[in-house]
Order: sequence, then C-alpha cells, then structure tokens
Amino acid sequence: MKKILLLGAIALMGISAGQIMADDGEHHEGGKRPKQLARSLSQAPAVWKTECGSCHMAYPPGLLPASAWKRQMDTLKNHYGSNATLTPEDEKIIRTYLTGAAADGKYATPSQSNKVEAPRITSSGWFIHKHDEISPAVWKRKSIGSAANCQACHAGAAKGDFNEDGVNIPR
Amino acid sequence: MRTAIILVIALASVGTSASATPAIISDYATQAKQANPGFTGFAADRGKTLYFRETLQNGKKISCATCHSADPRQAGKTLAFRTIDPMATSVTPSRFTDSKKVEKWFRRNCDDVFKRECTPLEKGDFITYLSSLK
Repeated sequence: MKKILLLGAIALMGISAGQIMADDGEHHEGGKRPKQLARSLSQAPAVWKTECGSCHMAYPPGLLPASAWKRQMDTLKNHYGSNATLTPEDEKIIRTYLTGAAADGKYATPSQSNKVEAPRITSSGWFIHKHDEISPAVWKRKSIGSAANCQACHAGAAKGDFNEDGVNIPR
Repeated sequence: MRTAIILVIALASVGTSASATPAIISDYATQAKQANPGFTGFAADRGKTLYFRETLQNGKKISCATCHSADPRQAGKTLAFRTIDPMATSVTPSRFTDSKKVEKWFRRNCDDVFKRECTPLEKGDFITYLSSLK
C-alpha cells in the first residue's frame, strides 16, 4: 500500500509511466522486476505471438533471462506436461527473439526446484516478492486459476504492461 | 480443370466429409489406404469415439473434449486459460483448412492425450466427425 502511494506521488510529480516501470522496485532487494519487461513488443515476430500465444498468453521475453528461455526451447517436447514442439524454422525465429530480448540480472533468474521442468517465471525472486501479499486461496479462485494466468489481474499483460496501478484482482 | 476433376474424385472417394478442406482429407485417405488396403472411407462415428476417448495422464482423466469442450460447437479452454475456438467446422469454418496447422496440432495433442501419434485413419475420422456437426 505504501508503495502504491509512493508511485502515485511520483506520477503526480510528472515522471512518465515508462520511467516508473523501469525504476520500479529499485530499492527493494529481490523485488526488482527485470527492466526489459518495459520494452515494447512491437519488434516481436508474428510467429512468436501465434505459437507461444495459442495455449497460454505469450509471455513477454523480459520475464525470464536468456538461459531460462534456452531451457524452455530445449524442452518443448515436454512443456510442463504438454507437447509444444515447433517446426525447425519457427523454433529458430522464436529462440532468437526470446534470448535476444530476455531479462538479465540476478533477480531475473528463477530458482529451479524441479530439474525436469524448464524454470518457471513464477519462481523468480522478483515475481515472488511482487506477489507476496496474494494468498494461495486468491490464486486458486475460479476467475484466476493459477499464478500463470497474468491476464486475470493484469489486463495489459499481453502487451507487456504489468503496471501495478492497472491491477484488478477479480473476485 | 484437371484440379477440379481430381478434387471431385477425392471427394467421391471419402464420402461424407465435404466441408473440411478436400486436399487435407484426400491426403489422409491416401495415407490410410497405404496403411490398410482394405480402407473404404472415413467415419464420423469413429471420429466421435476418438474425440471422447479418455486416457489417464498424471492421475487425471483427459480426452480431446477436456480442452475442446464436450460439445464441439462450443468454445473450449486450454489448461493454461486460453479460449479455443469451437472445433465444429459449421461454427469455425477455418478449421482443417491449413494442413501445416492441422498436422502440428495432431502431433502435439495426440501425444498429450494418447502418448502416441494418431494414425491417418484417426485423423480423417476426427475431421469427418467435426465436419458433420450442424
């Protein structure tokens, strides 16, 4: 809550929303969201949106570091229990885009408790810190389902907009 | 003109499945015939049985209907919260018109549900069923 007020105050001081996103969490250890998240998705290849966005929201590349995206692309045969294999041409385009636009920095790196699975965005330090006020019961609401459903609360998620001011947690 | 004749022959050889793209259906018919010379055509009822066939994956019963809806005329939902357009060609006419897309989803989804590839006969039956719904 204190942070929301602070952000509001900064916004009133006339600093652009883009800067707020980029600076968000600067002074909170472990809560720093990867800066690349604010990067425009306009450079994204069409095949990224159609292929990565058919079963789930196409997660913006700034949500994971390059090493994690490499693991994702290397394990598409068993993508969290589903076969998500691509044609070699599409695979190459998507891999190049994801690793090129990926997040960096130590806070972007997800912990990996499960060696079989590719690392999950939701196990990144910044993700856990940003959502520490959300109780497990809220994630399980029918209107949300799980922490992987960004769009349930962040309406602009598919466009890479995770601005805290736009959050609306459904009942 | 020659293409038209080929199409007519292809359609005649597979009977009821006129609403899905003829080229895709006739490709599967050719493959089914190669696999089994006794192949006489695709059947909507076999396709329906396949659509609802349940398997056990990680302790959960799943079938095509799990994500694609028990009524293929209705929208479905992926396990990751994405809406899926209805499978019935009467509601979504673009279904089964892009062979690359059709093959991609058979490859992935047959592996997810049946832990194997689907046969040309199953693919043709599946499309025939979903093309038969009004």
